[in-house]
Amino acid sequence: MSDQILMKGNEAVGEAAIIAGCRHYFAYPITPQNEIPAYMAKRLPEVGGTFLQAESELAAINMVFGASAAGARAMTSSSSPGISLKQEGISYIAGAELPCVIVDMMRGGPGLGNIAGSQSDYFQATRGGGNGDYRVLVIAPASVQELADMTVKAFDLADHYSIPVMILGDGFLGQMSEPFTLPEPSGKTFDKPWALTGAKGRKPNIIASMRLTPEDLLEKHNLELQKTYQEIEANEVMYESYLLDDAEYVIVAYGTSARISRSAIGELRKEGIKVGLFRPLTLWPYPYKELKAVSDRAKKVLTVEMSLGQMVEDVRLAVQNDSKVDFYGRTGGMLPVSEEIIRKVRSYGG
Amino acid sequence: MSSNRITVKNMTDKEYFLGHKACAGCGGSLAVRLALKVFGDRTFAALPAGCMSAVGFIYPQMAFLNNAIISTFPGTGSMLSGMRAGLDALGVKDAHVVGFAGDGGTADIGLQALSGAIDRREKIIYICYDNEAYMNTGVQKSGLTPYGARTTTSPAGNNLPGSVMQKKNLFEIVAAHDIAYAATASVGYPQDYLNKLSKAAAVEGTSYIHIYATCPTGWGTPTETSVSLAKEAVDSGLWYLAEYEDGAFTLNRKPKEFFPVKEHLLKQGRFKHLKDSDIKVIEEARDKKWKRMLEKWN
Repeated sequence: MSDQILMKGNEAVGEAAIIAGCRHYFAYPITPQNEIPAYMAKRLPEVGGTFLQAESELAAINMVFGASAAGARAMTSSSSPGISLKQEGISYIAGAELPCVIVDMMRGGPGLGNIAGSQSDYFQATRGGGNGDYRVLVIAPASVQELADMTVKAFDLADHYSIPVMILGDGFLGQMSEPFTLPEPSGKTFDKPWALTGAKGRKPNIIASMRLTPEDLLEKHNLELQKTYQEIEANEVMYESYLLDDAEYVIVAYGTSARISRSAIGELRKEGIKVGLFRPLTLWPYPYKELKAVSDRAKKVLTVEMSLGQMVEDVRLAVQNDSKVDFYGRTGGMLPVSEEIIRKVRSYGG
Repeated sequence: MSSNRITVKNMTDKEYFLGHKACAGCGGSLAVRLALKVFGDRTFAALPAGCMSAVGFIYPQMAFLNNAIISTFPGTGSMLSGMRAGLDALGVKDAHVVGFAGDGGTADIGLQALSGAIDRREKIIYICYDNEAYMNTGVQKSGLTPYGARTTTSPAGNNLPGSVMQKKNLFEIVAAHDIAYAATASVGYPQDYLNKLSKAAAVEGTSYIHIYATCPTGWGTPTETSVSLAKEAVDSGLWYLAEYEDGAFTLNRKPKEFFPVKEHLLKQGRFKHLKDSDIKVIEEARDKKWKRMLEKWN
């Protein structure tokens, strides 16, 4: 592995975006993601790109909206309260069927909260934090390598389906330094005949997000959006299974809490307890079917989160047997520790 | 000035901003501390995300001895309006409603709310402590970062001089609302600041003070030079002491000769990289501004 390099998760996201061909990045300061703007401020001018620091999160997401409408691969990043401010823009971008990548390095909330890593943006990421019947494709990496790989993939998914894609990390992942291998560019290209590139030799393009006229009903537009979402649900679910073949107990966790759960599983296995990990990598689309199949063979399904219970709602929808589903979470920037998870699983009397 | 004016000699020994976690030599905390000494314990303060809320509200070691609350980052001006309305509803008439926000929280994300509050002629005081970048998040460029300053988002190197933008002219933007009282100040000129705080406290309607506040951590300067640097910034003409009241601007200090800009800037880590050509850009912008101020202001 001689080609491995050491970077913070935030910096890896920046470099991966550049590898993916992103040349337009719009920033606004907020901890714990500030290394992304700092990295892009230096790197983007070197590759002929545009780094622009906006005057607010609202401004940054609307700059993304504009750059995307012009056909550019555009990205913004923020952390929890900053993502809340971006939600109006995200809803507009989804309504206009434009691609973009949004990075959320979650921190403790609600409100100003604190700057430690957290996972309490699950709702605002997966449930459509803004108004309307729309979806954002949400990917939740669990390592610096995965942050980099998934950032490259996020741009392709965004362009393929013409939707906003969110990389949902947290303050720990963003601040963590790990050796990783720089991802390769995918080599995929996407035609964007709708882009506002200046109507030379063709009719003007119009990107609409308002539909008031009878022949262009908003319901029809929404039904079209739903078709895209169904296609994504059918094709883009990503998850990881770890020691699930014989598992009587299934821990469901994503991102940082999945890493901690994995070490708890190592200890529990030494005690002979048959426990494994189901780690969703896409939070929307959620791997409902796959988790259902795993949970049917299990006695108990424990959801571990750095929140007081957000993803567990999707786990209940998947398992369809509430008595089987249990939850353990720490919040406000606190990490669940391996020992706490071990105690919880032991209590099932394995 | 009347004989009962507040000076550093006769001001209260009582502290209202005490035990905070600001860095040594922090100009922003000095601005807040002096303001609260003038306004007293009947002060209801709102602070958005930023250095002063981060260092002042560390539960359970709360540094404010008056009433204080953290506002949303974009919402300080609006929250001040709400606080005044609430106090009015309760019949509280003897209280000051004061906002303390940094340069990013004022000139960038908070500008819309500030504009609305001034436009409503609210009886509130808004103090912007300007340390010329987003310091609490680790030194990012703001609309008030001066030309040539190195921040993490305005890097300096062979191709870039640091920030390529001049400071947003916030004092005059505020004055353009025909605000009741607006002033600029510097932690290097404390008596001037105290006078302006007293005026702001007495005025009917909205008042705004924009105070230049040294930041050793973000500027790369020795902590013991915080006051002298803030004084030098005024003496070199890179900052200015002025007031706006009754529709007219007044320059409070007109240096006969400017302190050398280069000498002043090169004491600061954030400007260490500047070439003579960059210094020239800074001097030219200063001269243009002073020409206009001297011609048009009292």
